[in-house]
Amino acid sequence: MEEYSLTLGAHLLLWTFPLALVILVVAESLLDTRKGETER
Amino acid sequence: MTPLASSTLTTVATVMVVYLGVLIFIAWRAAKRTHGGEDFHLAGRSLGAWAAGISSTTSSESGWVTLGAVGMTFTHGVSGLWYAPGCLLGYLVNVYLVAPRLRPLSENQGSVTLTDVITRRWGDPRNVLRITATTIILICMMGYVAAQMTAAGKAFSSSLGLEGRSGYILGVVIGAAVIILVTSLGGFRAVAWTDLFQGLLVAGALIALPLYAIARLGGFDALIQGLGSISPHLLSAGGDRIGPALWGFVVGQLGIGLGYPGMPHVITRYMATRDDREVQRLQVIAMFWGVAVFYGAGLVGLISRVMLPGLIDGEQGLMALALHLVHPVLAGLLLAAVISAILSTVSSQLLVAASAVSYDVVEETLNKARDDRRSLVLGRWTVAIVGVIGILIALSEVRLVFWFVLFAWSGLGASFAPLVLLAMARRGVNRHGALAAMLTGTGVTVAWKLGRDAAANPEAFARVWWMTLLVAAAILIIGHLTKAFEGGDRVAVATAAGLTVLGWWLVQRLGLDNVYELVPAFFLAGAAALAVSAIAGTSDEVSEQAG
Repeated sequence: MEEYSLTLGAHLLLWTFPLALVILVVAESLLDTRKGETER
Repeated sequence: MTPLASSTLTTVATVMVVYLGVLIFIAWRAAKRTHGGEDFHLAGRSLGAWAAGISSTTSSESGWVTLGAVGMTFTHGVSGLWYAPGCLLGYLVNVYLVAPRLRPLSENQGSVTLTDVITRRWGDPRNVLRITATTIILICMMGYVAAQMTAAGKAFSSSLGLEGRSGYILGVVIGAAVIILVTSLGGFRAVAWTDLFQGLLVAGALIALPLYAIARLGGFDALIQGLGSISPHLLSAGGDRIGPALWGFVVGQLGIGLGYPGMPHVITRYMATRDDREVQRLQVIAMFWGVAVFYGAGLVGLISRVMLPGLIDGEQGLMALALHLVHPVLAGLLLAAVISAILSTVSSQLLVAASAVSYDVVEETLNKARDDRRSLVLGRWTVAIVGVIGILIALSEVRLVFWFVLFAWSGLGASFAPLVLLAMARRGVNRHGALAAMLTGTGVTVAWKLGRDAAANPEAFARVWWMTLLVAAAILIIGHLTKAFEGGDRVAVATAAGLTVLGWWLVQRLGLDNVYELVPAFFLAGAAALAVSAIAGTSDEVSEQAG
């Protein structure tokens, strides 16, 4: 039976992009929080 | 909507009645805290991060995310997911660029609506900007409201087992009556709170259902093998498209995001946020909601394609999958999520349309009802009247209105998104440029849209260039007769007409009809704003009032 898999572009579209976005958002939020604490 | 079996109908209908009861209860609580005009139109600028974040996202997506987005991946496979980065990039711009700047700007200005922000940013001594912006918003929003009421009516009639034309009418009236009640009672606060409740319901449904379905299917690899056996194209990022068709599709899907900064019902949430700290928290909440909902909807479409081989209409994927997999009570909740996505948008749009009439036209342009109590009463009555007009349009199915809906997202996006971004940039534009941007955004959107659909409507497309000149001439005559126009406004109208005809020519001559109209309209509107501002200076120095 033939084995199917996602193409590279599909991997980027389906997993990599949202994962990178979530990491970016969390990192930005943590940086903001740390910056706020330092200023206080 | 998929017809329900009689055994599940009672359970689903009970869940729906409870859901509507919750909406009315939330509105009643909000109404007790709504005491004046700014409360009604902007929740007294008191929204917390959760209400502002979820409300801004859920009100922008309508039934599209639970129906259309599911249908995209059902039909096109993974390549149907290109809408997700497009929309999420729009969210990024909105929450990281627009929200942190717009909230303090609107607070300093005392602005209540998007139109207010524009007119106070650049000055509007003769109400030219206010009338133009209000007209564009009203036309787009009324079409939207009527179309959403139609969709809600269809969803209610099938979930409550109401059949035939009378069932549809009853469905429209039930859905619309609840929304009018919620919006007129509690205004902006009720709309934001019900959005929060409904947005969490939508996110819960679109996270839980695909996870459960993938587990039932035998894991993610089973999904991939199932899709590949139907067609290997379903597993690639380009699908079965190649060359210009592929690039046109990708650019168009990414271009959806350009519209977000121009949606009045979205960005007023940022204006209503309590303080800058809440804006920072809102950013994370909105982005997580977006990722969960867009990718959840995409997965539901992919799973439906494998698990429901007999399903013909992919847009029914979420409901069909729910009925296939879960208990009727949960299916009822999932159907409530589908309807939630519609109702959260229609309530937000109804409030924007009503605010355009009661605040922008009656209070600001005609200088009536300026005290807080009268403003509240006027707002409530306007919501009721605009809502009833929406019901009548939805029931009469006026074709012209639904024709306008086709332009609503791209028209609003192209008319206002470049302006909102330029307002945040704080330079390079004056009120004549702002007028040029709004007219160009609307004009190019219509011309390009007709160009894209020229095969279906060749006569309408052929008439674009001379219709543009007639409309421009009519605007110039009205401006002259009412003594509202300055020289710069005439330059703005002429520029917008020229760029609209250019758009028409580009589609016709260069074969750019596979490009989504929002992309050229957005950039041409921005260019018009900058060019006209450079050419036509304002006659006074007060145009940068609140910058």
